[in-house]
Amino acid sequence: MITGSSVQSTPAEAHNAASSIYVAPSLASALDALSECGAAGAVFAGGTWIMRSPIRHEPLRARYVAIGRIAELGAVRIGTDVVEIGAAVTHAALAAALADLPEFDVLAAAAGRSANPAIRAMATIGGNLATPGFAAADCVPALLCLEAEIEVAGRDGRERMKLEHFLKIRSTLAPDRLVTQVVVPRSERKTAHARLPLRKAGDYPVAIVSLSVSVDAAGQVQAARIAVGSVEPVARRWERLETALIGRSLDAEEAARTAAELADEFVGRDGIDAPAWYRVSVLPGLVRRAAATALGA
Amino acid sequence: MALSLTVNGDRLASTADPATPLVDILREELHLTGAKPVCREGFCGACMVLIDGKPTPSCLTPAALADGCEIQTVEGLATHGQLNRIQAALDASDAVQCGMCFPGMVVSLTHLLTTRPDATREDIRAALTGNICRCTGYERIIDATLLALATK
Ligand SMILES: Cc1cc2nc3c(=O)[nH]c(=O)nc-3n(C[C@H](O)[C@H](O)[C@H](O)COP(=O)(O)OP(=O)(O)OC[C@H]3O[C@@H](n4cnc5c(N)ncnc54)[C@H](O)[C@@H]3O)c2cc1C
Ligand code: FES
Ligand code: FES
Repeated sequence: MITGSSVQSTPAEAHNAASSIYVAPSLASALDALSECGAAGAVFAGGTWIMRSPIRHEPLRARYVAIGRIAELGAVRIGTDVVEIGAAVTHAALAAALADLPEFDVLAAAAGRSANPAIRAMATIGGNLATPGFAAADCVPALLCLEAEIEVAGRDGRERMKLEHFLKIRSTLAPDRLVTQVVVPRSERKTAHARLPLRKAGDYPVAIVSLSVSVDAAGQVQAARIAVGSVEPVARRWERLETALIGRSLDAEEAARTAAELADEFVGRDGIDAPAWYRVSVLPGLVRRAAATALGA
Repeated sequence: MALSLTVNGDRLASTADPATPLVDILREELHLTGAKPVCREGFCGACMVLIDGKPTPSCLTPAALADGCEIQTVEGLATHGQLNRIQAALDASDAVQCGMCFPGMVVSLTHLLTTRPDATREDIRAALTGNICRCTGYERIIDATLLALATK
């Protein structure tokens, strides 16, 4: 039997102060608890980012409010006009719920191929969107190209905003507010998610291209929404490429050539997994893959 | 407040800090050293345990969220001293090298055997995305899993 002094192998920061975790049974109790905690508190969703704080040399918060057992936040509601995704829905549950809806292929692939199976069963869509330090989040570009809206709630009520806006304010979101759901409009479209991890699976993607196109009867692109993730610190739409594709028939090779001409607008981020220039240089290839997958769908 | 954990069928109390990773309670308090904190990041799978039947990295599970759950570690998978199907197949196939990854492999594959009786080679590979082995190259582990699946 191996014995040792208490939690010896843990990085010191993990235990520099006791954190409390309140497991909220309902949204109202979570909002009350967050409001009571103030700046000392934060939402605890899947924990796949928070529990790695010691490795990033970040202190844990003093108080967490766990939202994983709140039924209202754990449901995917598929309506005729919109799909509403509770913030605590896991990547695995989301991929399963969208499996039979081809217009959501991009999101099902983002949620269903990120990380590894055990992590996908823990990590939540709300956590994916609400983590400003995570540039490689898969669901962010997928939801940008689907024009998702985010619902944020506090004790004083709920508000809805475009995901683009949420990404701008998320790092300053008041500590007593939380993301309650993601609302995604339904429409006929072809979508695809192309990600490049260094190994076939399990790693963070070096770069991501999420694509959604609506094509008319003659095969011409009527509307295109393309988002790029993991290249810059925050995912964003690639509007020049979108404009260039409209009015033409979608062709994977041609889309990749256009992407190569326009890729210089991205300033990549340097990381231990890949240098900045590499992330930008793989974009045309990912555009080709995304377009080919969407055409095949 | 004491946490109540059920580990391999035994009800146990712990006074650990609620944010303590479950793997530390298992190893340091309960002396169950099968689960190993190797990366503490959710990448390697060496700390995998079953929580309410689901493979879960115990490095990312805070004690407070394991409270009241049924936890099974690799130590609890052999019943009455008898290796389970995947343990027996890994042994018979001589699949183990240094053994570092194996407690986690056995936990993930025990779950696969009960939930995916018709798993293919590709399914097994996909199920092991979060279990990293630095020694074997995986092929013998996959062969052993196919053998275990074929052994009813
Ligand atoms: C090894 C590994 C590899 C991974 N690879 C990928 C990958 O390739 N692609 C990918 O997309 N994901 C990946 N993930 C998952 C990723 O960590 C999560 O998608 C996400 O960033 C965190 O989600 P969570 O639910 O675990 O959040 P938590 O860790 O619980 O929280 C993260 C942050 O979000 C805040 N937060 C959480 N929920 C809310 C809410 N509802 N409202 C307001 N704030 C909230 C928390 O306060 C905290 O600041 C990986 C995870 C691991 C461990
Ligand atoms: S130690 Fe938990 S996954 Fe590596
Ligand atoms: S046997 Fe050595 S890491 Fe797998």
